[in-house]
Amino acid sequence: MSFIESGERLALRAAVAELGAKYGSSYYLEKARNGGKTDELWAEAGRLGYLGVNVPEEYGGGGGGIGDLAAVCEELAAAGCPLLLMVVSPAICATIIARSGTEAQKKHWLPGFADGSVKMAFAITEPDAGSNSHRITTTARRDGDGWLLSGQKTFISGVDEADAVLFVSRTEDQKGTLRPSLFIVPTDAEGFTWTPIEMEIVSPEKQFICHLDDVRLPYDALVGDEDGGLLQLFAGLNPERIMATAMGAGIGRLALAKAVAYAKERQVFKVPIGAHQGVAHPLAEAKVELELARLMGQKAAWLYDSGDDLGAAEAANMAKYAAAEAAIHAVDQAIQTHGGNGLTSEYGVGMLAGVVRLMRIAPVSREMILNFVAQHSLGLPKSY
Amino acid sequence: MNIVVCVKQVPDTATERKLKSSDSTLDREAVDGLMNELDEYAVEEALRIKEAHGGEVTILTMGPSTAADTIRKALSMGADKAVHLSDDALHGSDSLQTSFAIQQVLGRTGFDLVILGSESTDARTGVLAAMLAERLGVSQVTLANKVEIDGSTIRIQRQTDYGFDRVEASLPAVVSVVEKINEPRYPSFKGIMAAKKKPVDAPSLADLGIDAAQVGLAGSATTVVDFAEAPPRAKGQIVTDEGDGGSKIADFLASKKFV
Repeated sequence: MSFIESGERLALRAAVAELGAKYGSSYYLEKARNGGKTDELWAEAGRLGYLGVNVPEEYGGGGGGIGDLAAVCEELAAAGCPLLLMVVSPAICATIIARSGTEAQKKHWLPGFADGSVKMAFAITEPDAGSNSHRITTTARRDGDGWLLSGQKTFISGVDEADAVLFVSRTEDQKGTLRPSLFIVPTDAEGFTWTPIEMEIVSPEKQFICHLDDVRLPYDALVGDEDGGLLQLFAGLNPERIMATAMGAGIGRLALAKAVAYAKERQVFKVPIGAHQGVAHPLAEAKVELELARLMGQKAAWLYDSGDDLGAAEAANMAKYAAAEAAIHAVDQAIQTHGGNGLTSEYGVGMLAGVVRLMRIAPVSREMILNFVAQHSLGLPKSY
Repeated sequence: MNIVVCVKQVPDTATERKLKSSDSTLDREAVDGLMNELDEYAVEEALRIKEAHGGEVTILTMGPSTAADTIRKALSMGADKAVHLSDDALHGSDSLQTSFAIQQVLGRTGFDLVILGSESTDARTGVLAAMLAERLGVSQVTLANKVEIDGSTIRIQRQTDYGFDRVEASLPAVVSVVEKINEPRYPSFKGIMAAKKKPVDAPSLADLGIDAAQVGLAGSATTVVDFAEAPPRAKGQIVTDEGDGGSKIADFLASKKFV
């Protein structure tokens, strides 16, 4: 047993960190504040195979695991470039298609995930269903040799820059029972429209409400077969939580690094402010919390990559919880350490507050994780 | 073409570097090592020449066992194989001895072209390319910001204060490169995964016919006699403008012979 990542994983981290440093916070903030996209970074990371590390080699990917992809995500975030669509496109969508897609779907989509040339958004949340995936109302009906898909989704990231969206929906089987199913919908499909949601978060990736109005799809828009739905879905949700952990840990590292640099430099009385324990100890606490969250994230990734989906679910939930809390504390303390500068645009610390605060809500809320742990890990009665 | 790139692991320039009081050599244990930055350009140029003309790229590193990380990075960028010359007897070798040891390794690998970064960020002597060429009896084309290979001819361009020199030589040759020459690639994920399978030859001094007395601190032609910490930066002088700020600044610059 080892708690230390392999030499290749560490080399991957070093290489990605170097690429991230080339772009850095200033690149990301410039794009985010001016309505731009991080296309250049995405394309370069894609060409280097960093966005497709987890795609099977036979489809042009790196043949690694979600642990490798999480390392890429964390290092880019720590360099100032948290790429939200990494959580969605290669982690959720590519995983689901690689695990559950038909051979034709794999051949069509996976090479694009491998080099980053394809971006796919993921749509699960509905206005009236929230975290309750059993109440999903987006429904596909058989229509001749294809499907008609109708429904509404909300808080869907990156639809405007995606080639397609993977929709969680339901299909009626022979007996009229609704079963969960997943459909790939190209963003230019007729009847598919989306509207942006104005958010108080500084990010190049935007959030959207999606409307599906009898969108006609070919039969093979359905991922895998009609029976596999829920399992397919869970295949993608553990990687999502593992990636959210990595992004939280990366942003926390970024905030902490900025705070530490400032605390070493800034001198008000005789010594740098970092010598005062009132400043130093909260930063040390943030470091402890971040390292614990990272370790749990690596455990979750290791379990997932070893094929233990159930074990990974508990670890991924706990890791995501811990990473969100650690990132929020780290950013809050980084702002406090910077004093007034913490909320200036110049220092790029204050804007992180909204980003990490979101992580306590998405992709799964703190409360839903505590429900999971209470029920599954502790065996307490279910409350809902 | 058989291309050999000399790559050195150096202490991270972003950290505080120190000499050891015991033998006046660099304290490599106290700081993180990484690939000498100029050597990244040398590796990149070698890979581009290989991509254009075919052949094989060998990384040649002399240094302690920790230098394996730097070798691995060069292999993950795309080099084919490596030679790691590592022996405690080499510790403290100066440029003359280093060039001798590298010459012996090159006798083992053979070469059409040897590429080096123009200097290392730690020792900064910048003489290794010249010494190597002299020892090997081949042409040296140094400080290249552009390299062209045409059959058995190498042409380089070198920036000067007034324009640039164009220098031509026959292969085999030794070339040193500057950072203007290219933009080094990042290792791809596949490159990183492939690197662990690439062969790293680790000859002993005996394999190379080197006597331990010919290298190392004791036999060096140069010696560090003494060293001192750089003095802390002196406090700057603040000029308050009372209508004569301009002339005060001019006086200051004149006193330092800037104007």
